[in-house]
Amino acid sequence: MSESFFVKHDFLLRRLHSLSGLVPVGAYMVVHLLANASILNGVDAFQNVVYVIHSLGNALWIVEWVFIFIPILFHAALGFVFMFQARHNTQRYPYVSNFRYRLQRITGMIAFVFILWHVLHLNGLIHAEWFRATIADGLGIAQFRPYNAASTAAEALQSPWVVGLYALGLLACVYHFANGLWTMGITWGVWITPRAQAWASRVCMGLGGLVAAIGLCALIGFWRVDIERARERELEMYRQRVADGSILENPHKLSRPVEAGEPRSH
Amino acid sequence: MITDAYGSTIQSFRVRVLRQDCPGASPYWQSFDVEYESDMNVISVLQRIAAKPRTRDGRETTPIAWDCGCLEEVCGACTMVINGRVRQSCSALVDKLLAEHPQEIVLEPMSKFPVVRDLMVDRGRVFRALQKVKAWVPVDGYFDLGPGPRQSRAQQEVAYPLSECMSCGCCLEACPQYTKVEVPRATNETDESYQQRLHGTYDQSFIGAHAISQAMLFNAHPVGRWNAGERLEALTAPGGVQVCGNAQNCVAVCPKNIPLTTSIAQAGRAVTLHKLRQLFGW
Amino acid sequence: MSKQRVVVVGGGLAGLACTMKLCELGIPVDLISLVPVKRSHSVCAQGGINSCNDLTRQAGDSEWKHFDDTVYGGDFLQHQPPVKEMCFWAPRVIDLMDRLGVTFNRTLEGNIDRRRFGGTLYKRTAFAGATTGQQLLYALDEQVRRWESDGRVAKYEYWDFLGPVVDEGGVCRGAVAQNLASMEIRAFPADAVVIASGGPGLIFGRSTMSMMCNGSAASRCYQAGASYGNAEFIQVHPTAIPGADKLRLMSESARGEGGRVWVPRTPQDPRAPRQIPEAERYYFLEARYPKYGNLVPRDIATREIFDICVNEGLSVEADRLCVYLDLTHIPKTELDRKLGGILDIYRKFQGVEPSEVPMKIFPAVHYSMGGLWAAYDRSADGGLIPGSPLNHQTSIPNLYAIGECDYHYHGANRLGANSLLSCIFSGLFVAPGIHSRLGSLSGGTASDQNQSLYAAAVQYHREQHSALLQRPANGDNPYQIHRELGDVMTKAATVVRRNDQLATAYEQVCSLRVRAQQCGLSDSGNWTNQNVVFTKALLDMFPLAQAIVRGALQRDECRGAHFKPDFSFPGIAASEPMERRREAEAWCDRFEANNARWLKSTIATYGGEHPRLSYEDVDTSLIPPRPRLYGLVGAEIIEQVWNERQQLGGRERKMAQPAAVTS
Repeated sequence: MSESFFVKHDFLLRRLHSLSGLVPVGAYMVVHLLANASILNGVDAFQNVVYVIHSLGNALWIVEWVFIFIPILFHAALGFVFMFQARHNTQRYPYVSNFRYRLQRITGMIAFVFILWHVLHLNGLIHAEWFRATIADGLGIAQFRPYNAASTAAEALQSPWVVGLYALGLLACVYHFANGLWTMGITWGVWITPRAQAWASRVCMGLGGLVAAIGLCALIGFWRVDIERARERELEMYRQRVADGSILENPHKLSRPVEAGEPRSH
Repeated sequence: MITDAYGSTIQSFRVRVLRQDCPGASPYWQSFDVEYESDMNVISVLQRIAAKPRTRDGRETTPIAWDCGCLEEVCGACTMVINGRVRQSCSALVDKLLAEHPQEIVLEPMSKFPVVRDLMVDRGRVFRALQKVKAWVPVDGYFDLGPGPRQSRAQQEVAYPLSECMSCGCCLEACPQYTKVEVPRATNETDESYQQRLHGTYDQSFIGAHAISQAMLFNAHPVGRWNAGERLEALTAPGGVQVCGNAQNCVAVCPKNIPLTTSIAQAGRAVTLHKLRQLFGW
Repeated sequence: MSKQRVVVVGGGLAGLACTMKLCELGIPVDLISLVPVKRSHSVCAQGGINSCNDLTRQAGDSEWKHFDDTVYGGDFLQHQPPVKEMCFWAPRVIDLMDRLGVTFNRTLEGNIDRRRFGGTLYKRTAFAGATTGQQLLYALDEQVRRWESDGRVAKYEYWDFLGPVVDEGGVCRGAVAQNLASMEIRAFPADAVVIASGGPGLIFGRSTMSMMCNGSAASRCYQAGASYGNAEFIQVHPTAIPGADKLRLMSESARGEGGRVWVPRTPQDPRAPRQIPEAERYYFLEARYPKYGNLVPRDIATREIFDICVNEGLSVEADRLCVYLDLTHIPKTELDRKLGGILDIYRKFQGVEPSEVPMKIFPAVHYSMGGLWAAYDRSADGGLIPGSPLNHQTSIPNLYAIGECDYHYHGANRLGANSLLSCIFSGLFVAPGIHSRLGSLSGGTASDQNQSLYAAAVQYHREQHSALLQRPANGDNPYQIHRELGDVMTKAATVVRRNDQLATAYEQVCSLRVRAQQCGLSDSGNWTNQNVVFTKALLDMFPLAQAIVRGALQRDECRGAHFKPDFSFPGIAASEPMERRREAEAWCDRFEANNARWLKSTIATYGGEHPRLSYEDVDTSLIPPRPRLYGLVGAEIIEQVWNERQQLGGRERKMAQPAAVTS
């Protein structure tokens, strides 16, 4: 992409950038955090949500890339281009909106790094068995197992450092989302007068607070999971589902000790 | 009257100026001692220095070049960065500046425009942006064609604040999205070809809050709205309203309290609808 | 035709109106201005713009009455045909500005709202908030920008007009100007040059005028041979905020809303103003004019404030002349509602809250009624012939003057809200005349001229420029000389004029001129050298300053803004009816004799070291002169006698009653 491409399609690119922040990226994030929050209702609830998601089967891969990874990469790539055009001046002009503008760019960067790490850390991006065996396990990435959802997630989130970084990343994402929603409303001309913008700001920040609370609660929820008992219960659910035919047997989606140690029952 | 830390009336104060001899030269700082008088503003400080151009260390120097006009904050000429903040130097009162920052008064040229010399900058891009958005009413001519369209008080009350914009450039200086564009002149370049190259570069760069606001002013005018589409095309061209990053410094520093962010949001709505209409043929 | 160009010098209301009208007529324009045209001094006008309108018409107003008010306000010193033409055009000028998108205040029904201004009984004044001049200028600026986009106008902003190019036959063939950044000097060949450079306020040091109002363009034409008319008529506004750099206008509506003017009875009383008890305050306007109090007309207020400070020594401050304009007795909410805008200016520039502390104000030089002499072509009905190339032409053929820098329209005193009108009107009206001139040029067009004419002009100015740069640096500082010039002029040639002071001032101006010719420059560089540009402007202030002082010195009478107490007519002192009648008769005799001697325009021509003055009859064929009696003791009996004389004389008079000048 040459510079003239950016110049020529400046308006379209910036509007797509703005839009992609809300749909699908922002919207996905909210759904994702809500799904995570189901852990507060117990291991079963969370595992059931994951089963629903994974009922997509092989289509899940496409959904992940088309609706999540590519939009995030698009949003982030353009974001970096735009970000480096900014000349921050909060020292000279210490206004709230100027700090918000700067923070939007800082949180964008944090969010991008966090999401990259988070995806590798839990999802692993590449789901092939060879990748897991040769690379992922060695690096300690791709730790999440869909059919041992709560236990593997909880296991990955035991270190206070990890939890701390997740909390930071989560807050960055949520701020970026909530503030971005507010500025998007200005950019697209939804709220116009200063009064309307002030109200919209309160609503967006309130929404952000709510989403952040949900996200943090989920984090606490995972941290408090009794991993051993969760694993037992997940295995029980797995076997039951395989038995009643609602899922196909897929050890790849189970955590390793199960594969290795337990006999397979049909 | 301004007093120092010990409560005695000050005799003089220090002024530090960022100077630059010509475009392309490197800037340097010079400090001056200026005798205190009551009711001084930054203009009179610069006038005193011009009448006796000697630095603090006793060196003779040239008077500082700067721009000024009405000295009533309606012409916009004397805009500069004073103690780190962009504003008009005529309304920057020495007593207030020293009360906020007793050590010295720091003067810098605006950083978003090419320096001509010292505190003089070339704000041609500000006016070029007004051409780009066609900020005028396209009347048939100047013969007598009777009165203009009637307008409600409400319309006038919306339009008047926008039309107070004096193109001073404060909104642009404070805007983190508005970046300096300097086009050095090539050797042996004719006036015309340089002008063309310069305007070409300006036209690709952000037009800024003032021009967006002027476009909205004329799009709201009963006759000006008939070519609103042309202005919206200009607003969506490279460097248009989409570049705005909503830092909203523009509205905070505007000396005329023009509701620039309202204009920007209005422009946002107008271009959204304009583009959707184009896309779907509404 | 397509090759012919016109140079317009100055981008205020007059210059821009002229430029856009020329463009419409298909004539390309080179627009030269010291500043970006949008920053011209016209932005400072606050009040409004006058025209007879539908509303006033039904209250008995007419274009003729507007004309009469203007002429009467100007003490009959202006040629009447141009004024008549202007007043009859005024409604159309407002219509045009309305179409151009000026944000005039509106009535509930969507019409242009009007307010009443000084010197009239009718609500003639259209206004846009408190920034009418700015709004009008921006509308014209936008139109010129539109033509600029079409390539019809080439703007030369930050260019200094150095002088007209005049050929051997004395005809103007273009202009020479200098780029203020690169210091490049070049010629602009043109078939007509229009000077629209505004007033010369800087000659008085500090005034209400902007920093580029140095009068240099008009002075350079004057030095090139153009005549200058009525130089001594300088309007001084009674209430301005003294500042170290400039005197900022404080609108007279502050007094209209109940503001009281006073000084402490003890000279320079050190107490804070509100600590001074009532008994120790001198409300001199109320004491001296019990009937009108603080709302005496502008010129009287100006003179009294000046008198109390200069002659009585009662200025509030010792080192700076000023009096209190007190609004502190009015509730703050009421002040904010009625005077918010103008009080903001005081707050912003003085850093003091005017609702708590009385404002300090003093009169300030505000406007020049005089300017470059310009011709007009009288029509049979007493107006101007539209499209005549003579209208607004200076004494140099093809060189035109419009706006504040010509001497038409305002006579000895300008009425409020008439200056915006005269600027736009003259700009619009001169263009068709120039168009006809371009079609009938004698001696060929600019492109037919020998190029050596331009080369020689450029060479001359280059030499002048380098000579200045090569001055030894140890001479007098030009800024210091300017300060002294301003002090001399302000002291002798503003509010109250006395022949002894004027004679001394003239000598001082001459010796300052000699010093200025030997001043030293602290900057000898050749890039954006403001020092040399200022020095050039300073040198060119002296010929005009001399014309102002000499004109004032020679004019032994009182007329409009020109007030010489030694030649003022006292009112009627007697109380006995016969004696009153006799005094009134004598007063009218004296008035008629004075008019016979002094109802003439002063015409200055450049004579090198000293100006040459002559006097020109004024065309008063439409409205015969009559006494201005406002505020005079015995005005009724004088008016009665005067009217009887007019009836006896059997003269045709359209306006029988001398209208009262209200402010």
